[in-house]
Amino acid sequence: MSIKEIIRQFKPEHHNLLNIMHALQNSNPGNYLTKEALEETASYLGLTKASVYGVATYYTMFSLEPRGRYIIRVCISPVCEIIKAETIIKHLEKVLGIKTGQTSSDRLFTLELSECLGQCHKAPSMMINDRVHNCLDKNSIEEIIEEYRQMSKSD
Amino acid sequence: MEKTVSIHIDGKKLNVQEGKNLLQAAKENNIDIPHLCYHRKLSPTGACRLCIVKINGQKGLIASCTVRAEEGMEVIAFDEELEEARRFILDYLLSEHDESSDGSYMDEFKELVVRYGLDDKKKRKYAPIWKYLGYPSDNSSPVLTYEAAKCIKCFRCIKACDEVQGKNVLSFTKRGIASYITGGFEKWGESECDGCGECIQLCPTGAIVEKPHRDQIMLHQDHKKVKTTCPYCGVGCQLELIVQNGKIVRADGVEGVSPNDGRLCVKGRFGYDYVSHPDRLKVPLIKKGGRFTEAGWDEALDLVAEKFSETIKKHGKRSLAGYASAKTTNEDNYLFMKFVRTVFGNNNVDYCTRLCHASTVTAMLRSLGDGAGSNSIEDYEKSDCILVTGNNMIETHPVTATYVKYAAQRRGARIIIIDPKWTPLVKDSHIWLQPRLGTDVALLNGMIRVIIREELIDRRFIEKRVEGGMKALEELKALTEKYTLEYVEEITGVPAEMMQEAARIYAGARRPLIATGMGYSQQLTGTHNVFCLINMMLITGQIGRKGAGLNPPRGQNNVQGVSDVGASPFTYPGYVPVGDDENRRKVAKIWNVPYRELDPEKGLSTVEIMQAAYRGEIRAMYIMGENPMLTDPNLNHTEEAIKKLDFLVVQDIFHTETTALADVVLPATSFAESEGTFVNSDRRVLRVRKAVDPPGQARQDWEIITDIAKRMGKPLGSYRDESEIWDEIARTSPIFAGISFSRLEKQGIQWPCPSKEHPGTPTLFEERFNTASGLAKLHPVDYAEQTEKADNEYPYILNTGRILYQYHSSTMSRRNVSLNQFANEAYVLMHPDDAKKQGLSNGDKVDISSRRGVIRSITVKISGEVLLGELFMPFHYSEAPVNRLTRDELDPYSKIAPFKLSAVKIVTGS
Amino acid sequence: MIKEERILLKNAGKINPLSINDYTKAGGYRGLKKALAMEPVEVIDELLEAGLRGRGGAGFSTGMKQRFTSESCLRCPQRYVVVNADEGEPGTYKDRIIMEQDPHLYLEGTIIAAHAIRSSQGYIYIRGEYQDSIEKTRKAVEDAYKKGFLGKNIMGSGFDFDLEIKLGAGSYLCGEELTMLESLEGKRGTPRIKPPFPAEKGVFGMPTLVNNVETLANATRILEKGKQWYRQTGTDTSPGTKIFTISGQVNKAGYYELPLGVSLRELIELAGGMRNGKPFKAALLGGAAGTFVDSSMLDEEMSYDNLKKKGATLGSGAVIVLAGEDSIARTLINCLRFFKHESCGKCIPCRVGTAQLLISARQLNDTARDKKKLLGEMIRDSGLMAATSLCPLGQSPILPLKSAARYFEDELCGLEN
Repeated sequence: MSIKEIIRQFKPEHHNLLNIMHALQNSNPGNYLTKEALEETASYLGLTKASVYGVATYYTMFSLEPRGRYIIRVCISPVCEIIKAETIIKHLEKVLGIKTGQTSSDRLFTLELSECLGQCHKAPSMMINDRVHNCLDKNSIEEIIEEYRQMSKSD
Repeated sequence: MEKTVSIHIDGKKLNVQEGKNLLQAAKENNIDIPHLCYHRKLSPTGACRLCIVKINGQKGLIASCTVRAEEGMEVIAFDEELEEARRFILDYLLSEHDESSDGSYMDEFKELVVRYGLDDKKKRKYAPIWKYLGYPSDNSSPVLTYEAAKCIKCFRCIKACDEVQGKNVLSFTKRGIASYITGGFEKWGESECDGCGECIQLCPTGAIVEKPHRDQIMLHQDHKKVKTTCPYCGVGCQLELIVQNGKIVRADGVEGVSPNDGRLCVKGRFGYDYVSHPDRLKVPLIKKGGRFTEAGWDEALDLVAEKFSETIKKHGKRSLAGYASAKTTNEDNYLFMKFVRTVFGNNNVDYCTRLCHASTVTAMLRSLGDGAGSNSIEDYEKSDCILVTGNNMIETHPVTATYVKYAAQRRGARIIIIDPKWTPLVKDSHIWLQPRLGTDVALLNGMIRVIIREELIDRRFIEKRVEGGMKALEELKALTEKYTLEYVEEITGVPAEMMQEAARIYAGARRPLIATGMGYSQQLTGTHNVFCLINMMLITGQIGRKGAGLNPPRGQNNVQGVSDVGASPFTYPGYVPVGDDENRRKVAKIWNVPYRELDPEKGLSTVEIMQAAYRGEIRAMYIMGENPMLTDPNLNHTEEAIKKLDFLVVQDIFHTETTALADVVLPATSFAESEGTFVNSDRRVLRVRKAVDPPGQARQDWEIITDIAKRMGKPLGSYRDESEIWDEIARTSPIFAGISFSRLEKQGIQWPCPSKEHPGTPTLFEERFNTASGLAKLHPVDYAEQTEKADNEYPYILNTGRILYQYHSSTMSRRNVSLNQFANEAYVLMHPDDAKKQGLSNGDKVDISSRRGVIRSITVKISGEVLLGELFMPFHYSEAPVNRLTRDELDPYSKIAPFKLSAVKIVTGS
Repeated sequence: MIKEERILLKNAGKINPLSINDYTKAGGYRGLKKALAMEPVEVIDELLEAGLRGRGGAGFSTGMKQRFTSESCLRCPQRYVVVNADEGEPGTYKDRIIMEQDPHLYLEGTIIAAHAIRSSQGYIYIRGEYQDSIEKTRKAVEDAYKKGFLGKNIMGSGFDFDLEIKLGAGSYLCGEELTMLESLEGKRGTPRIKPPFPAEKGVFGMPTLVNNVETLANATRILEKGKQWYRQTGTDTSPGTKIFTISGQVNKAGYYELPLGVSLRELIELAGGMRNGKPFKAALLGGAAGTFVDSSMLDEEMSYDNLKKKGATLGSGAVIVLAGEDSIARTLINCLRFFKHESCGKCIPCRVGTAQLLISARQLNDTARDKKKLLGEMIRDSGLMAATSLCPLGQSPILPLKSAARYFEDELCGLEN
């Protein structure tokens, strides 16, 4: 679907802005909101550019920069921290060969941090796109990343 | 009625309006509770937290800006705990703030820092962290800069843009301590910002500062502030000019006074460069052998006097004419008018009103008895229905439009727009009726028919206040009977149900205002259009009370005043007819001239003067501050007419297309070098004050006029200053009788103001109409097809108009760096389907021709803003003189020319 | 050992959350049927008399909230129900469990609430990260429409109600009810000035009832089984159960539905005791905007009122357990980091304060500082922040900070070890 088609699934009402942005971002292979997407959204909803931009930059789930195909969000809440999220992040950085905030050179993964994902009973946790991965340790991380790598090849 | 309640603040008893916020109540009683994010004009934000107080019976510290005063409130505004909390907040704020300043702006935050002793760095607790926060600057706007490190994130700019100006161009971006303001996608220059600068005016620190002249402003050094009236459109915004080293370096809106309450538009705030532009005329010029040579005042004025006298002697006194000026003061125009009547000895004095609202004024005079707007500009804010006809007010009367937008955006008022062309106000409108050019009479008659059939009329009003009462309505009913929904839809192209809904909304509104513009007036049927509007208004009883009526926003700063002070071929000051013997006697007495010397015959109107010149009947002309060579219709004809004159004197501040044809050019003062008054669109007499010295030998218009009169042996009188001229105006015109300069010191007064005790009249016709009977008159009129139509040879209908960034013939506006950065190129708007048919794309150049002329190399802009088969061009640009295409055929009642409708063809590949 | 009392979570793990038939077979939508047979005001009375208190954290009477909303601005053309499903308090996932395991339970409560306040339009505002909750709720709403529990003339009662899902996008503050309304309208998540409360002027300026997922789940049960039945569980002033989410250093971290009034010791026991037998050191109750307690509080009754009296909070029901080896400072710094990240930036004290407190907290590790003084200043500053901030976020840092200092001052100042 084109940007316009995605936007037109929603009524042209201001309160649909966040839902529209989610839909646009999810449909973008780089998992981000393009300038064109923001402009189209603004014009469809009758908003100014800044009102749309201000919203896009406020919420942490939205990105205005191209990201990888899979967004990894590692939980850094107090619980995950107690259960050693730090080592998880370091290990992910090592496995992916990138620092937190970066995107891997094959554009498959972007490594981000997240506030509490509400998975505290199975800490440490992370999300990759829509899926939650719990009770992480070094081994499971490697397996999970490998799984996504394979998945990307089979698509 | 406003109820007052009594409250105590720190033991002091105050009586304040119920519901007023505590902070404002305290402010008005000189209790200075510190605050940064609050501003009188904005909704309370509660962000800075400095205005915290304690209130009996309520827990904790409460931001006083967010609390409404209630009976019996006991408030503590100052105690140790509150002051400690405030010092703590200021100290915090300092840590994220870059304190450096170039001295070009006022800094409310700095003032508080000093008040709380925090200018002493030893008293601060927190390390400056702003340096590490990566705050950006944005220099991309043509008119302002934004520095996030100087921003205290108070929301005032955002709300100024949103709530006051109705534009909402700004937002915060990011969040928490990393947040800052953004226009567009962090590029102000690419945002929807139109440069009004309301954000600059309300910014409490140096975060948003204007670019022009910033290096020349040193507010801690000697400078003066001069309050005056804006020289652009007819809103009459009150300006405060900052003058440093003899030059205007900044303009702010004056807060708290009507009509603008601090608001300005981009022209008002940034359009003053022209005053000090090197192109200003500085010495009198005499044309010798086809070239201008500099002359002394004596030489120039002697020549003018001699030539005028000679013309009178050779061709009779009716062979001369004058164009007064909607740009100059009432005092200048009054004496100009007096000059034509007593020195030339005829009534051939007119000005550009004939080209703009003459038809509106004519219709209003005949129906209501007064030709001026019936209400106040601020009334739009509280209106529940605003009918906007042929009026692109966001661009042409930007500050009036702010009130209209406020009503629509924040009070749920419904805006009905009647305009064939899209205008930015459509975004805020409830219904947009888009009739084909020139079909308004049919549309309005259709709406009137709906109103009568559905019994939405105001019977009481008709019986009490309309001549002929219900009988008159019967006539109107009979005439409009044939304007059935189907018939009107066929003529206008407006869907029947939209027309019906518009009629119902207007008729049912409690406080509806009509704002009618050039789209209605500049037609051959201009007077008829407005008759129809008035008919609809009268049968629904929608006039004669506060917030209901008819208002033509006037295009130029003093277009209202010039008519008011009598620069008209038909009327003396205060709309007293020239043909009336008694009037002439009265005026002659005040002027101390023999009454027989005053010509009892009506004079020629603007376009008629040119036509008479073309026929050789007018031989000499005196033009003050007008540029007919760009603004008159059918320019090719105008040019020939002017060239036929024996003698032409033009008095102006710049060379124009018209001065080029003059024999003598006299340098006059701009608004910033003049003293006097203007009258704005809501009949408000407003002071103009001198801020800077005139360039070179330039003189104020009235001084030049009186000198010429003296040299012609017919002195106009001796006036020490402008206030004495005004006093004479007040003596001649009953509507001004109670107004004097001393009463105008603080703010303007709306006429009629018959006596010194009279407060002025915000709303006309509350008791009676200004007709002989005191009743209003219906004027049923039929739709007539336009005389010029699109045909095979000239298949397009061309509409003309104005844009926000340029003004009139752009002699002033185009001499401003800022304004030109926004818009400096002529264009023609064309519907996408027409462009396709013509094989044109955006940016292509075309020639456009009509039966009267041709203009070349115009840039095409493809746009859905115009209807199929219709084109639009702004008339400001001398390189694209659109009036070479327009007609000088005239509306028989008002003598206005149909600028809005010319059949043209497009010639591609030029 | 105490036992769980699964009133709310009675279906959890037992029925297919994607099947509306499973839900109705288990007795679902009976509460709604009863409610629709009652006058709206009777529904409100039922909740009032049941003593239900909001489970979002503040513990305000749900019946009162509904009454205010139903009685305000009678001329307003619309009143709204907004479900607060923006669960973001660290350590908390009770709403997620309901949404993922029994979504119709709170949907039913939402429709009941709509009937109670005579609303015809509602919104569920769900955290954008809660993908599973979003999917399950979407399916539940879809099915409820199909079965006639949503839409026109619900269950033949003549009552109409439409429900739409709105997604959050990563902002803790949007869990605050007035901020949620801003976000729901498509704006930045900045708090509104209070008053007016949502009951007077909520979404789109209309009277709005904002209720938490768990609260609405309780409402379903109350209508289904009656107020007397409901009052049999919990304490007098805090009747009913609470879903506690216990995590950190325990063996069986998880969610446990218990009567209000259970003690911390009992809860830890229920959660399998301390992880690998480590010694208990502290618990952070209520998440980041919560309070630390030490072992002296192990036997206190955990109800809204008792904990408040003891200077602690129940909040969302999150219990994060720290063992002997865990650093209080580290968890405290995490909380402060969290507040800085989530501060919207609207008011000065919170915007600058959350940044400055974090800087100061990190200096607690700096040997050169007079740490006692530093900690004292932090408490003072957080107190001033709490006193002057616009919304609850700025009022939060003082909670973990002051409680940590109260029980663990020596450790924070490096005087231990």
